[in-house]
Amino acid sequence: MKEEMLSKKPLQILEKIKENLEKLNEKMEVMIELQKHGKKETPTVPDASLDVMTLLSMPDHLRKTAMTICRFGRATADEVAQQTNRARAVESAYLNQLVIMGYLKKERKGRKAYFYIDKEVHESR
Amino acid sequence: MSKIIAIHSYKGGTGKTLLSVNLAATLAKHGNKVCLFDLDFRAPSLFAILKVESTEYWLNDYLNGSCDINKVLIDLSSKLQMKDKFFVCLANPTTEAIRDICAKDRKWEMRALGRLLSLRNTLMKEQGFDYLVFDTSPGLQYSSINAIVAADLVLVATTGDRSDVNGTRRMLHEIYELFEKKTGLVINKVLDASSKAKMDEMRDKVKVVYHFPLLAVVPCFCEILRAEGNLIFAQDKPDHPFSKILEDLAKKIESDNIK
Repeated sequence: MKEEMLSKKPLQILEKIKENLEKLNEKMEVMIELQKHGKKETPTVPDASLDVMTLLSMPDHLRKTAMTICRFGRATADEVAQQTNRARAVESAYLNQLVIMGYLKKERKGRKAYFYIDKEVHESR
Repeated sequence: MSKIIAIHSYKGGTGKTLLSVNLAATLAKHGNKVCLFDLDFRAPSLFAILKVESTEYWLNDYLNGSCDINKVLIDLSSKLQMKDKFFVCLANPTTEAIRDICAKDRKWEMRALGRLLSLRNTLMKEQGFDYLVFDTSPGLQYSSINAIVAADLVLVATTGDRSDVNGTRRMLHEIYELFEKKTGLVINKVLDASSKAKMDEMRDKVKVVYHFPLLAVVPCFCEILRAEGNLIFAQDKPDHPFSKILEDLAKKIESDNIK
């Protein structure tokens, strides 16, 4: 009994560490991706529209991700990865890059991050 | 196995509307619930082909977000003597409406794509439509590319004309491939279609030139021209060779027999 109580705390700490590491990982992925594809990419264009001609002019790796979000409207990196058959970490990096480029918005809910096309741009006329 | 099918071409006059109407009618005859869409906003034609006198709401209104898709749906089943199966959504043919749609910006086009994509939910999931058939504008423009992106299968109508072959090939490789769309070719207005040697030669050529599956070959029929758009062959002349070709095409689509 006592042992169990004792083992709980380190477990919680480990969980926390894992969580933080995941967050760090995600940030690293973005940085790596940005370096790979040249960081000249414009920093945050507010409300850039994700229309079909924009999709056509995108590099192939980003188009695949962007099209999946177009179809879903809103999704996590995991859900996108299932559709594209690429690794979650890769999709996470691409999604974050699309956020930086202003095409997508990101929202955290608990431990999950959702990516979506901005509702205001999407709905208002 | 419900599907959204877009019918597109590089050049105008390749037979997109003829194919769309007859394919939709054939699918409906097979017992599918079908809706045909006129997405050729720059030169609407379905209202004339289907002889619809007037309607309160157009597809333009739905894409503008000013009405529900159900307001745009017109039930033509009884007119075409099909039981509860054939619906149509029309583009507004007035010059004012065409001018209005030409002036839309990127953001509008992006929302229009969202609205086309949501038809999968509202019409297919909720109202049990089996096939949505999109008749589009030729060439590279927003309304057509939106339709292609929203579709599950794209049929490309093309003829043997040099300018058409060249443009179609480029379009297939520089647009369709980028969107990773399931695509099939329909070669229209083929001469010497009764000669087997000529047909084999053409099939080989298509393979080499396009690298996409050939779904149908439609000979040049004087009867179609003579009908001046007054007949829906699949419905009015079910024994005509053109209707038979459409039967085969519809069966391929229904059995999902396209690589």
